[in-house]
This record gives sequence, structure tokens and C-alpha cells, in this order.
Amino acid sequence: METIKAVFDYTLREHIRHKVWLSGALFGLVLLTGGLVASALAQEERVRMLLDLGLAAIETIGLVSVVFLTVHLILQEIESRAVFLILTHPIRRSHYLLGRFLGTLAAVGAGMAAMGLVHWALVRLLGGAGDGSYLLAWSCSFGKVAVMGALSLLLSLTLTSEAAAMAFAVFLWVLGHFTAEMRFLAERSGNPLTRAALTAISHAVPDFAHFNARDAWHAGDLSVGWAAAAALYVLGYCAACLALSVQVFEQKEF
Amino acid sequence: MRPTRALAAAACAAALALAADVPMSALARSFPPLSELPRTPLIFQDVAFASAGLRAAGADLAWVQMLQYAADGLDVFPGDSGYDHIKELSQRVTRLDPSFHRAYLYAAGILGWFHGVDRPNEALDILLEARRLDPGQKLYGLYIAGLAYKKKGDSERMVALLDSAYDDPQTSSIMRTILANIHQERGEYDKALAIWEDILEHDRDKTEHGRARVQIPKLEKLIRERASKRQ
Repeated sequence: METIKAVFDYTLREHIRHKVWLSGALFGLVLLTGGLVASALAQEERVRMLLDLGLAAIETIGLVSVVFLTVHLILQEIESRAVFLILTHPIRRSHYLLGRFLGTLAAVGAGMAAMGLVHWALVRLLGGAGDGSYLLAWSCSFGKVAVMGALSLLLSLTLTSEAAAMAFAVFLWVLGHFTAEMRFLAERSGNPLTRAALTAISHAVPDFAHFNARDAWHAGDLSVGWAAAAALYVLGYCAACLALSVQVFEQKEF
Repeated sequence: MRPTRALAAAACAAALALAADVPMSALARSFPPLSELPRTPLIFQDVAFASAGLRAAGADLAWVQMLQYAADGLDVFPGDSGYDHIKELSQRVTRLDPSFHRAYLYAAGILGWFHGVDRPNEALDILLEARRLDPGQKLYGLYIAGLAYKKKGDSERMVALLDSAYDDPQTSSIMRTILANIHQERGEYDKALAIWEDILEHDRDKTEHGRARVQIPKLEKLIRERASKRQ
């Protein structure tokens, strides 16, 4: 635990000192205030539009940040050979990886929380988001970002090319929003092989189609059972990606 | 962690994710498939938003475009004779986000009752779809009944129904102005004036304040003229 915490601390500090993180957070704030102006066009649905645009902006910036940061996270340290120096210390590779991932996630989460606070205050100012739904929608966005972070880390270690890892991450993000369509096609398919392949893919890619409190907000029918299942899903998916990342990282020779 | 242990941990975690995915998928809200999005010149925009998991934001943008169309028309529909595409534009909004109550009501209000737009069948289509995709909103049933009375020519009961929905938070400003115009056409100037004054008093109807300022003196004049005729 000590070693994980030490790596976590230095990763968090490294990201927060980085200008990219600050620019991302500032860009997010600009988008949120821009949303305030744009939402005036929605007339009677102003609060709704401000809410949706703000949450979408927070999630998109969180996604871009986490993919960019995690893809560089280990590969850059391998390229700069800093990883040799770290691994000469009595530190397990799995602890190093976990500390680096959690530190990155904490940095991105802090940025998202700052943007979320400003956004929530703006929405409250206009009389919206009085219940706990905002926290649920924000947490869901953060869950998606955590899943994408773990997946990007695995992709970066497996593909060893930053560009390819980023492209695959974005591809999987989009594909993840089509799991409902994939399962629908699998049900309709007469070919058992196609059905099996589509079902397997729809379960292997992150199931963002059913993990989207932000889009289901206005229907107001998200239950506690759904939230509990969604939390377990994020935990399970992240842990699976991290364990596979450890497997790949352990086999790398430095 | 030894590689074999890492693989075992990955398998356990994946099993947990799969087990959680089943109730999560079953309890989540389902959205209409992309193949049901109306084929408008703006379909690429809609698909792009849905693919990025931004259905609600995409629906908001489509809503703003529908308002723009209703006010001044849209460049993508040249030569439009007025409200020709309001049905498909409302379907863009509601098939991206079926819980956008006001989009159904706004479009149905214009198609069913707006002055010079007599397309109650299209309004009915929108409201029936609303009841299917977004159940639980009482105004859909009320508007459907209102349209039925309109088709039967029973304007008395139709107006009574629309009046009863006047203060509902989901009733759009445009529907309030439509109701004022219906009262005016029926010669009920006092009721029409009361509605325009109410519109002017409330911030929720800010977009119609300009029209209210024009209509109030006109109606006051009509009321005075009628009174002088009676004398």
C-alpha cells in the first residue's frame, strides 16, 4: 500500500503541474459559460439545455484527458527510461501500474469535479438540478472515464504505439454506445455464428449504451438497483483491464 | 503479482462485470434505434451525437433548430411553405431523447391549432408516438381528446380542455398564444385579453412578450368598440 500511495502521489502532482491539465480545466470552464449563452436559444428548455451541454462537455473533456494521459503514462516513462530508475527500487510492477493509474484518474477526476461544481452552481442559479440526480449523472460520467482510462492503459501496453492506442480507444468509446443495437442485431440474426460473435463483442466492449445516466436523466426512471449494478460494472471492468495490463507489463523486459 | 495470478484476477473481474451488465442493461432506459431517426438533411448531425453517447445534447440542439425553423425557416429546407417539416423536426428531437415532453406538445400544438396550419392528423401521429415512447404524461391524452373534438367540430369542449391545461408547466408559450387566438376568433375578447396579460406577467413566456404587447391594445380596442356598439 505504501508504494502504491507513493506512486499515486507523484503521479497526481505530475499531472496537476502539467499545463495540459490546466488548459483542459480552463477550456471546460469556457465551454460551460458558453453553454450558458447558447442555452438562451432553447427558450423554455433553457435549464435542460444548460444541463445537457455542460454534462456532455465535462464528460468529453474527461474522456480526452484520460485517454491522452493514460496512453502516455507508461510508454513515455519507458521511452525516457525513467521506468528503469523506478523499478530498481523495491516496488512491484503491479503496484507501480496501479499507483500510476489511480493518480491519473484522481487528477482527471479533480478537473471534472471542478467543472462539475461550476456547472452545478450555474444550473442551480437558473433553478434546476435540485435533487441528487446531478451527482448520479456526474458519477456516471466519471465511471465512463474510469473505464476508458483502464482500457487505454491496456491498449497502450498491448499495442505499444500511442497513436494506435488512442485511435482504438476512441473506436471502442463509440462502439460502446452501440451495445444495445448489437444485441438487437444478435437476437434477429439467423446465423448462430453471427449471433455468438455479436453477443460476445457487445459484452467485451464497454457497455456505455446502458450506462448513461446523463442521457436518461430527463426520463427520471433510474433506480437504485441500476446504480448499484452500474457501480459494480465499472469496478469489474476497470479491474479486468488493470489485471490484464499487469499481465502484459510483467512480461515486458527492460 | 505473478502473471498467472494476474490472469486469474482478470477473469474474476470480467465475470463480475458481465454479471453486473445483465441487471444494468435490463434496468436501463432504452432509446429508439438510430434506424428510426427521420431522414432529414440533418441526419448526420443526429447520428454523430448519438454515436458519441450525447443523445440528450443532440436532442437539445435539434429542439433549437426546430424553434428556428418555426420562427424563420432553416436553410436546409429551401422553398418551404411554412411548417411543412415540423413533424419530422419534432421526431428528430423525440427519437434522440423520447422524454423531451415539450417537443411533442409544441409540434402537436402548431400542427393542430396554429392559425393557418390545419394538419390535425399529423398532430395526432406525434401525440400517439408520444404516448408510446414517453408514457405517463397526462397532457398527451388531453391534446388527443382536444384534436378529436376539433375534428368533430365541437369547439366548446375543445377550448374547455385546452383551458384546463393552461397552467400546466409543460404547456408551451406558443400553446398559450394559440389559446388566446382561439378565444379571440370565438369573439371572447375578455378571455383572450386575460391570457395575453398573463403571458406578459410571467417570465416563463418571455419569448411571447413582444406579441403580447401588440395584442393587448388591439384587444382593448375591440372590447371598447363592442361596448360602444352595445350602448
